[in-house]
Amino acid sequence: MNAQDTPGTADWAAAMQKTQDELMRQWSAMAQAWSRATTGAPAAGFSPSPAAGIDPAAITNKFLAQFEQYLGVSRALWELLSQASRASEPQERARLFADGLGALQQQFSGAWAATAFGAPLAGAATPFGFGGMPGAMGAGVAGMNPWAAMGAPFGSGQSFGFPGGGAGPFGKMPALGPAREQQEAMQRLAELAQRCWQAQLRLGGQWNEIISLGLKELGEKLAPRLQSGAMPGSVKELYDMWVESAESAYKRVAHGASFIQSQAELTNTLSQLRSAQRELMEEWARQFDLPTRAELNSLHQQVRELKAALQKLTGG
Amino acid sequence: MANEPALPGDALLREMEAMQRKLIASLKPLQDAADVTFGCSEKEAVYREDKVTLYRYRALAPSANLAPVLIVYALVNRPYMMDLQPDRSLIRRLLELGLDVYLIDWGYPDGADRYVDLNDYINGYLHRCLGVVLREHKIASTTLLGVCQGGTFSLCYTALHPERVRNLITMVTPVDFSTPDNLLAKWVRGLDIDALVDSCGIVSGDVLNAAYVSLMPFRLLQQKYVNLLDQTEDQAQVENFMRMEKWIFDSPDQAGEAFRQFARWLFQENRLMKGTLQIGGQTVDLKKITQPVLNIFGQQDHLVPPAASTPLGDLIGTTEYLPLPLSVGHIGMYVSGKVQRELPQAICSWLKKR
Repeated sequence: MNAQDTPGTADWAAAMQKTQDELMRQWSAMAQAWSRATTGAPAAGFSPSPAAGIDPAAITNKFLAQFEQYLGVSRALWELLSQASRASEPQERARLFADGLGALQQQFSGAWAATAFGAPLAGAATPFGFGGMPGAMGAGVAGMNPWAAMGAPFGSGQSFGFPGGGAGPFGKMPALGPAREQQEAMQRLAELAQRCWQAQLRLGGQWNEIISLGLKELGEKLAPRLQSGAMPGSVKELYDMWVESAESAYKRVAHGASFIQSQAELTNTLSQLRSAQRELMEEWARQFDLPTRAELNSLHQQVRELKAALQKLTGG
Repeated sequence: MANEPALPGDALLREMEAMQRKLIASLKPLQDAADVTFGCSEKEAVYREDKVTLYRYRALAPSANLAPVLIVYALVNRPYMMDLQPDRSLIRRLLELGLDVYLIDWGYPDGADRYVDLNDYINGYLHRCLGVVLREHKIASTTLLGVCQGGTFSLCYTALHPERVRNLITMVTPVDFSTPDNLLAKWVRGLDIDALVDSCGIVSGDVLNAAYVSLMPFRLLQQKYVNLLDQTEDQAQVENFMRMEKWIFDSPDQAGEAFRQFARWLFQENRLMKGTLQIGGQTVDLKKITQPVLNIFGQQDHLVPPAASTPLGDLIGTTEYLPLPLSVGHIGMYVSGKVQRELPQAICSWLKKR
């Protein structure tokens, strides 16, 4: 194999751009149809989901995102394999490939940290695809980032409304005077936002480990083949090997105490943040004599007690 | 030098171009599948209460003269998976075998249901739905078929009201929530359930779905869509995929109190297994289940691992317990062709012997 066998970056980019343009044109028409199906396809006797307002563009982007990441991952692995295979010595091929996998670590971590729990690494690079967050649950997909959405009402799902998570000197000031209660509530909010950010980073660290282990496992699987010359027969085969390795690594890490703790910490802190946000919202609503969730909850409780009493009376 | 590596130089570009051609070619089949429907057997609503509906399916064959079957589905997904399409419908197969089939559809809870708890579901809705079936057929007891979380509900109900259940069938039903291979249970154990429920009142189905797909994120969030491209030449396959996709992500929100109790009492404290679970102030003693029990589980189930289901035999009081392992995963239990061919007949044969 020689250097001109590998397509140049310009060729690659041009081919991708051409295909993307054609895809987007056809997808815009298709997204309309898909949106109708997702929001309103009547089932035989079952009511459709009440979820509504699905954005066709978001659906299009979601579908495309699957392939953007597939293309990015496959391309990165295949090019590395191509480079390694140029070495004449079998041992050297394996070494080059293993070293190259290490260099992919950051790219792959940045991409995958964004997916599973809506917990993208702060400032994570998005090296794959045509732009935007890769993966099915990237931040650009409405309704598909439920973890982050838990903390979203007062800001973006990624930053929890406090970019960088710091409350600054404000966070440490003692609350004094007539508005001290409100100040304390805001300080509490800032502290929780900071904790969310930190928890997010810790979970991102777990994802780094998963990707690192996955790449290592892939390297170990491919090493004998690199040495013997029995290369993967296709890009898809290589990609499937990557998925298998990544799932294997994920399984090991996700069962571990550190991952469980990091994930729980993020979820628990997001829950607390959401409650703190709601308290502030309710305080604001009360000032305008608007109904609050607490009032509604009280009514729900009363209705429930009345129903129970009625059932007792009627023997239901 | 060892064998020369045979890596075609332009393979990457050629394969990517081919993949993108497939992507473009997939647009029409996907568009055609956009209006795919689900649910194939005729049924009528025979009872409604709050968000809950009890359906009775229209007979498709002469009666097998067996007690009617009441299907108790899970809260976390929609029950149309039991009757997805003509060739993937456990309900249809049971109807064809002459069984009288009822199904509880729990509906989509909303903010008004935040205080609905396990007692409401089990001793309330389920109890009254079963009452409707018993009155309609003028019988004292009948067959319960509980699926997944609905199987756990059915176990609780049978233990609490054994006189009303003639036979019990559990399908992909968790009993032991703390087995080492149960990743979902491990995750739940670390959560502050009170903080979660208190913060949202009802628990978003999207959050639950995120947890489910995160059990195998690389496969479920990406690879399956890449693999879809190899199926788009077959319109029926595309429609099957779309139906599954719809079902997987059509997850009702969960009534907060019921979720709180289920997550804490079962996932975190494993009370059903330990015999300490109480529903409505009554202890759920599985030893009181003395009627015949058929326990169906998937040997490759990653959501309800076999080890979570199989302890049932040692916990119940019946002498007629039959475990039925099938070589499928959780979803395969509903859609696998082999299961569709064999399971309904196995259920029917088992019921005929009782």
